[in-house]
Amino acid sequence: MRVRDLLWQAVRRRPRHLARLLCWSFAEAAPSFVSGQAIAHALDDGFGSGRPLVGLGWLMILAAAWLTAALGARQVLLAIAGIVEPFRDTLLRQVVEGTLHRTATSGMRPDTGAVARLNRQVELARDSFGAVIAVVRSFLFSIMGVVFGVLTLMGAVLPLVVLPLLAGLSLFLMSLPAMARLQRRLILAEERTASSVAAMVDGLRDVAACGAEERVAAGVQQDVEFQARTSQALARLTAVRTLSLAVGGWLPILMVLAATPALVRDGATAGIILGTLTYVAQSLTPALGSLVQGVGVNGVRLVVALERIVTTSARPPATSTGSADMPRGMLLRLRGVTFAYGPDADPVVSDLDLAVRDGDHLAVVGPSGIGKSTVAALIAGILRPDGGRILIGGVPVDAIDRAAMCRARVLIPQEAYVFRGTLGENLTYMAEGRSQADIDKAVDAVGMTELAARLGGCAAEVDPSELSAGERQLIALTRAYLSPARLVLLDEATCHLDPAAEARAEEAFAARDGTLIVIAHRLTSALRARRVLVMDGARAQVGTHEEMVAASPLYRDLMGRWEAPVTAEA
Amino acid sequence: MPDTQAASGRVTGSRASDPTVPGDGGDTPAPGTGAESGIGRASDARRADRLLLEVLHRSGRWPAVYAVAALAGAVVELLLPGALGRAVDVLVTPGAATGDAFLICVALVVTVVACDAVAVLAAGAGGAQAARWLRERVVRHVLAVGPAISRRFPAGDLVTRAGANAEEVGAAPEALITAVALLVPAGGSLIALALIDPWLAVAFSAGLVLIGIVLRAFLRETTSVATGYQEAQSDIASRMVDALSGARTIAAAGTEDLETRRVLAPLTRLREYGMALWSVNARAGVQAAIVVPLLETAVIGVGGIRLSAGELSVGELFAAARYAVLGAGIGSALGYLNRLGRARSAARRVHQVLRRPAVAYGEHDPRDQGPGRLELRDVTVSVEGKPVLRDIDLVVPGGAAMAVVGRSGSGKSLLAAVAGRLTDPDRGEVLLDGVPLRRLSRTALRRSVAYAFGRPVLFGSTLAEAITVERPSGVARGAARAAAADAFIRRLPHSYDTPIDEAPMSGGERQRIGLARAFAHGGRLLILDDATSSLDTVTEHQVARALTEELRDRTRVIVAHRAATAARADLVAWLEGGRIRGLGPHDVLWRDPAYRAVFQITGAGPG
Repeated sequence: MRVRDLLWQAVRRRPRHLARLLCWSFAEAAPSFVSGQAIAHALDDGFGSGRPLVGLGWLMILAAAWLTAALGARQVLLAIAGIVEPFRDTLLRQVVEGTLHRTATSGMRPDTGAVARLNRQVELARDSFGAVIAVVRSFLFSIMGVVFGVLTLMGAVLPLVVLPLLAGLSLFLMSLPAMARLQRRLILAEERTASSVAAMVDGLRDVAACGAEERVAAGVQQDVEFQARTSQALARLTAVRTLSLAVGGWLPILMVLAATPALVRDGATAGIILGTLTYVAQSLTPALGSLVQGVGVNGVRLVVALERIVTTSARPPATSTGSADMPRGMLLRLRGVTFAYGPDADPVVSDLDLAVRDGDHLAVVGPSGIGKSTVAALIAGILRPDGGRILIGGVPVDAIDRAAMCRARVLIPQEAYVFRGTLGENLTYMAEGRSQADIDKAVDAVGMTELAARLGGCAAEVDPSELSAGERQLIALTRAYLSPARLVLLDEATCHLDPAAEARAEEAFAARDGTLIVIAHRLTSALRARRVLVMDGARAQVGTHEEMVAASPLYRDLMGRWEAPVTAEA
Repeated sequence: MPDTQAASGRVTGSRASDPTVPGDGGDTPAPGTGAESGIGRASDARRADRLLLEVLHRSGRWPAVYAVAALAGAVVELLLPGALGRAVDVLVTPGAATGDAFLICVALVVTVVACDAVAVLAAGAGGAQAARWLRERVVRHVLAVGPAISRRFPAGDLVTRAGANAEEVGAAPEALITAVALLVPAGGSLIALALIDPWLAVAFSAGLVLIGIVLRAFLRETTSVATGYQEAQSDIASRMVDALSGARTIAAAGTEDLETRRVLAPLTRLREYGMALWSVNARAGVQAAIVVPLLETAVIGVGGIRLSAGELSVGELFAAARYAVLGAGIGSALGYLNRLGRARSAARRVHQVLRRPAVAYGEHDPRDQGPGRLELRDVTVSVEGKPVLRDIDLVVPGGAAMAVVGRSGSGKSLLAAVAGRLTDPDRGEVLLDGVPLRRLSRTALRRSVAYAFGRPVLFGSTLAEAITVERPSGVARGAARAAAADAFIRRLPHSYDTPIDEAPMSGGERQRIGLARAFAHGGRLLILDDATSSLDTVTEHQVARALTEELRDRTRVIVAHRAATAARADLVAWLEGGRIRGLGPHDVLWRDPAYRAVFQITGAGPG
């Protein structure tokens, strides 16, 4: 079980803190051992026999025990922090790594809300793990203190205290699975209500426009109702559970009282009886109460949060990459390539054949959603074809070492990625150690000189949210230009540039050494390319512009419209 | 345990959770209250309290049950130490008649346990019922007010009001009763102590003052460290969001590990603040934890001296010790009063939502649909007091297409909103086939007008449902085909049955689903607010063809940025600064250089 492993590792990896935790726990449990004894002696040897100073002396010992316990509690909390904080770090790392890898593999981008929820789960796991450690440990040590304390007072009383405790404990354990189920259901229900309300609020304009108020209200109400029913069921079960507390916490007191005449006959003093009652009332009942509360609520919360973290942040199985080096030649060849996003889905690409020579310049044209980006991802080796082969220099793409592949080709998608950092870091993201002269050359070639100057040069910090989409694209393009890759795939990477800026960037890449494949957003990209791949859904044809005008009705149609008088298009 | 998250302070239906833990969400100043007058605010508070009363009423008989159980429990709890003390006194004396002392204890314990169980049930069930009623009411009301409410409250804020705040309001009856029920044993204990021996009460009161001081110090210190911690947290979160926006780049560049390091860079800072938070909590927790036992020890000490003076019995000493612990519970009572204060402010926040007026619809439901003639008569619309659209007069003949163009900020979207009554004009009238939109019933209005947006929000469980919404499922496919969405939908993992949140869609693809939804709708007026802005030229061309061919029987209002779109429309409304600058066919307006300038591209920014 992954969750159990996670928790176990978190504790085991910190042996120093664990030792510290156990040592100070003794100090913290001091009152649970001392209290009954001190009360018994204060009464029997002190106040009860006319020696109040002795009594006060025993009470001072009790106070000292409480002070020790307070110091112990502080150290215990710090030791728990020493276990729990690294645990949070581990979880956070797992979440970040897993989410990044998964998003990278699947292309499905979680929304920001999902990221926030995941972060909250991590915090919840940290808090409840700390609480569970504290509660379970404190329960064990308190019980130990009480048992030893009662034994030293009068052994015969012990069964009166321990038997009801065990009964109460087993009642609690018996209720725990049902409790955990309901608690988990409630947590999920709360989340579902919150997200359905959030979805409703986000979509108010659309809901009104579609006249779908009734339908949406009914949907949200279903979640609200389910949550209410679940919390009512939980309240019922919690009420029943208070019985286990009653049995474990109150029954010992009544049993000791019932047995008192017999105990007194056997030699028990008033001090011993009072001491025992103090043990139960002061240590045992509170310890049991916080155990029931702590494990029943925090424990379940911990498990639910961890399960969520483990499932949503699991790293996808690493796609086995080959170990072959990058071949010298860059002749790209697709043979009968077929790809679909699911078993029930129409194939996006079927039986595609294509050859692109080293140094070629190819534009891919077709309506969006027709599979142009998929073709780019297949060529880049990010997606694996369901059928057919993709070869670079005669070597299958999946046989090539991933790192080598990443150096050999670069894919710039439509949504340009710029991160918080310096402009220089952003530009050399895929080409570490390039000289300033190289960078300047690339900046000039792609046409971002003006932007670079405005941002304040390579050393300036950039904030992606302050850049326009077009500016982000210029940075991403320059980054690709600087990379050592010989195969450049631009997947609508210039769509937010104006036509002139787009032309300049594309021409810079065309003049750069190596192969250029452009997924066209505007049809002008096709006019600049040496060859054009036209995808119309039914088939894919490739040829020069003139050949395609002759061979493809779709292309002819598009070009005809394109060259029509209305040219002021954004 | 550092409590930095609102989520961890959630009510769980158990009384044992510590109500004194500080910090919870939802205390942010409410937008929309700034302009209220002092008088308005006072009556607002009264109405919010009335909302609390109504919640109490709607919780059914649970609050009554809870009150009886909690108060009875409190009284019995108060009697119990005395009874136990007496039982101890009787039972430790050899040969004394045991009498009823023990049986009374048993009866009291059974009552305490029973009351506790009933109280737990009543509090949980009542709170759930109240929260549910309130939530449903808020949801219905928000939907009735419609999109106008988003201008008043940001989305996240509204979710908090309908969610966490409604929950807090629901817990109000419980908090009130618990506070009272806790005050009974706390106050009663003091009296009991004084009755046993006045000195005990003195020792106890002195100790109580100490508790108050400690708790206040705790609240002050925690907040500053917690802020640093939350900042580090949100730094990590925003780096993460950054990285996710570059998912495809990262996948292609194989830089996942580099990115992980970058995102987690603030982790050391987070750890430092985290540890600081623990140690502040450890210090404060220790102070708080030691007060009650020391208080009890002090009371026992004073009691012991009185005992050796012969003024107190053993049983009375035990009772005094228990009363000291019970009396220290006054801290929790204050915590519950604090929670009641939170419930009141939550009620005010919920009430502010409920106070927004719902959209009033007419009764008119014309049997035969007209051709869809749209008329705006002297329409003026203001946003936050400033007129954004002014004196608009125009007529779109039934079945005609009108493009709305203009620079950003010229009021295009507002015109689109007012034309289908997503917003009401402040002055003037909008008529569809001669009937003012205000007079149409909600169903008649929504049946007649279909909208598509630049950033549509989709709802329903599958893509097919997202398109059809209220229409029969058969229309999805045809509408999707007209919106050039059919091909890409069929390529998704489960085709039309793909759940919306599992469909990887670009902005353009989402836009086409939104278009398909509007096409499927089938009303006589179709309003496209920037609904093709993310489409590439080829796709936009396909959609434009559908608009001019398959949908030519509907009246179309198309907010557009591209000249090509305007050229295809029968009529162009050219807006500038909220007024109509020109109204006529595209090729006539095109002669004006100022009109041509509207379509010119500036800079490298998005067009």
